[in-house]
Amino acid sequence: MAAYTGRRLLQAIPLLVLISLLVFVLLHLIPGGPMAAYGNNPNMTAADFARLEHDLGLDAPVHVQYLRWLGALLRGDWGYSLASKRPVLVEIGDRLPNTIYLLSISLAVTLGIAIPIGILSAVRQYSVLDHAVTTVAFAGQSVPIFWFGLMLIIVFHVVLRNPISGAPLAPGGGMYTLGEPFSLLDRLHHLILPVSMLAVVGTATYTRYMRASMLEVIGQDYIRTAHAKGMPARRVLWHHAFRNAAIPVVTILALEVPVLFNGAVFTETIFSWPGMGRLFIESAFRYDYALLMAIILIGATLTIVSNLLADIAYAYLDPRIHYG
Amino acid sequence: MRSRRRFCCSVLAAVAALLVGFPPGLAFPQGTRGGTITFALYQEPELLNRYIGTQTALSEVTTFIVEGLVDYNEKGEFFPRLATEIPTRQNGGVSADGKSITYHLREGLKWSDGESVSCEDVKFTWQAVSHPKSGAAYTSGFRDIERVECPSPTTVVVVYKTFYAPYLDQFTRGILPKHATGDPAEMTRWAYNRKPVGTGPFALLEWVSGDHITLIRNRFYRDSPKPFLNAVIIRVTPSREVGTQLIKTGEVDIVWDLIEANVPELRPVPGVKIGAAPGPNAERLLLNLADPALDGPPAAEVAKRPHPILGDVRVREAIELGINKQEINEKLLFGLATPGTNELHIGWAKCVTRVTEYSPDRARQLLDQAGWKNGPDGIRVAQGAKFAKDGMRLRLKLQTTTGNKLREQVEQLLIDYMKQIGLEFYIENVPSPVLFGSWSSGAFRKHGQFDVVMYTTNPDADPHSQIEGYFASWKMPTAANGGDGFNYARWSNQVADDNIKLAGSSADLSVRKKAYCAAMDEVVKDRPHIYLYGRSQIHGYRERLQGWVLNVWTNVGWNAQDWSLK
Repeated sequence: MAAYTGRRLLQAIPLLVLISLLVFVLLHLIPGGPMAAYGNNPNMTAADFARLEHDLGLDAPVHVQYLRWLGALLRGDWGYSLASKRPVLVEIGDRLPNTIYLLSISLAVTLGIAIPIGILSAVRQYSVLDHAVTTVAFAGQSVPIFWFGLMLIIVFHVVLRNPISGAPLAPGGGMYTLGEPFSLLDRLHHLILPVSMLAVVGTATYTRYMRASMLEVIGQDYIRTAHAKGMPARRVLWHHAFRNAAIPVVTILALEVPVLFNGAVFTETIFSWPGMGRLFIESAFRYDYALLMAIILIGATLTIVSNLLADIAYAYLDPRIHYG
Repeated sequence: MRSRRRFCCSVLAAVAALLVGFPPGLAFPQGTRGGTITFALYQEPELLNRYIGTQTALSEVTTFIVEGLVDYNEKGEFFPRLATEIPTRQNGGVSADGKSITYHLREGLKWSDGESVSCEDVKFTWQAVSHPKSGAAYTSGFRDIERVECPSPTTVVVVYKTFYAPYLDQFTRGILPKHATGDPAEMTRWAYNRKPVGTGPFALLEWVSGDHITLIRNRFYRDSPKPFLNAVIIRVTPSREVGTQLIKTGEVDIVWDLIEANVPELRPVPGVKIGAAPGPNAERLLLNLADPALDGPPAAEVAKRPHPILGDVRVREAIELGINKQEINEKLLFGLATPGTNELHIGWAKCVTRVTEYSPDRARQLLDQAGWKNGPDGIRVAQGAKFAKDGMRLRLKLQTTTGNKLREQVEQLLIDYMKQIGLEFYIENVPSPVLFGSWSSGAFRKHGQFDVVMYTTNPDADPHSQIEGYFASWKMPTAANGGDGFNYARWSNQVADDNIKLAGSSADLSVRKKAYCAAMDEVVKDRPHIYLYGRSQIHGYRERLQGWVLNVWTNVGWNAQDWSLK
């Protein structure tokens, strides 16, 4: 296993270099560039413009810029944001906790709902409940997420009001009420809508996984054997069926790791959440090359690592699997 | 009957209020201290140093914290901030040759950390910004300063190498504190950029990236008991639409930079008011007078190879007369814009020129005279035109930025108007970074490879860089000058040139104004630009905010020391 892991990690290095090269070139191929922000400024002379472009290293050919970037990265320097002039890791460090906070809570809620419902719906296959769950799950997967978020705001923030105070039922954005001291209740209040938005889509997906996986397992011979032995149905379900059915779901969970880093662009934008998704979009609009490269490359690394983790977890959970 | 009902209502309201515990609408007399207002900004500042960043959102925040020696009031006129008076010839502030400017600082000025403000800070500001390694984007005029002298801590003498007409604008963007910044060569790395120290009514408490910036009362503000408010929270919203929602629910008190289309939505909302005033922006068609096949031609070459269609002033006039500016304003801008006239439609240098009359008949006549005869499909064809070969269609490419709904709608109307006079516009929009790209990136606007582009630009309160940049014949971007200047129309006019030179060499504002207006008269006659409409600056605010005055020349928070809550 150690050899396998080592080999996979070594394979990842050329892959990451290739990704960084491709992304770097693609970013620079996009028409315009960071200097365009100054293009309509009557107070800037061409000399100012050229000096600034040179200071930022943007006047060099793309391959030179790439090698400079790669060289700095190998020395552990991710560079500075072109817009804020701060180190890109500081920029990411400011936003990452907010994204992890929102997405991990959403994931917990998602799993808390999806797993029991998925199991139930598999056990009672083709029952009214199963049909209802399937229908809702498909609806949840098909609804455009941004539309759903906006609907949540309209219904729970704009239309429905607290009958006594007249205040909106749920805040329409932000992580907490500005200018107030810390309050757990206030934090939770602000989580309601964005978590609902993420949980609806997530639940739909995970319910389907759980149901499919469970159905496959309860059709197996050993489950029938367990039932035939006269084992209580509940024990068969949890001890024999669920444990095995959970394996594919756990491995899929490993793939959520890069998502926790990349953030949720739509949710963060709709609910004014200062997370990674918005940082990425804002940086893209600003052609903030160093920051974009860092976000994409860290995201890519996490994807590779979490895929590896998923494979390892799979082998660990299911002894029949061997990697040679 | 009615009064009884009203009585009942107020009793009920009072009981309800007691139950809930929030007596509504307690009226404080104006100017009472305390309270917090929230200001929605749909763009997060990149940093808070106006010499490095050029975003408007940036100065919207720094204006609460950082002050200059002088500033612009709501009429676009100068008033002293940190200085005691505006330097003029009469008060001895401006030397006979206009090259040496003397400011007197107010006595006892302090930075928000309690340190004293002195002439050394002004000197440092000049040294830092003009430092070749500073990374400053805004350096206009600073490199033209020969030295800054400090005869006393409160006397600042700025000596220019050559006369610099917008000298009063020089220190409007703020003074940098020498003690709270750092090495000029490291300006982009200063901690100051994230937490500026200033003399303004508010000081920065915290900046939560992507979320909000909290400003609190500056204890050392010179004009006690001002500021009245305890705090201003700048809330960063992902879009303008989120801000308009938040002001409806009362979560924010000011929503910055609305567009015309937001006004009908917000006007009926109780407690919300709209502040709007014509701003210096002018949406215009910029016409290329040179052959678009040329690459960045200088004036001499433009004269030899004019644009086959737009080189003829009669065609340009026909285009303007064929545009119904009134209709654009009413149909697309809810009547909130002002029909376009010239570059200087407001401000101290305002030049009054008439809005052209919409007259498609006259436009058709002009095109007939210019040798553009009706073609088989309604589009005219050259037949004895001044610069075009016979048989050429009267067809022009119209370009603006993509993704701007208003501009796309205006384009539709323009296509329609032009069709009626026999001219065909075809659209080829591009993303704004492409349109506004640099000479080195090969942007077509800089290189003169276009027919007509449409966008907005505006002069600063001191219009010199804009007027010279766009209309002086020596400001055509060419390979020789590294793409300097904005005379994309490649227009040369002797009268305008002379007057721009005159305005740039005079310290007398009335002389400058007269000269600018003489130049504007030429622009109006010659039409290198066709001004479509001037947009208003529109902000929404809640009624409880008192004391705010809309100032289109600076930023919303320019008089925040006077703000209070009702």
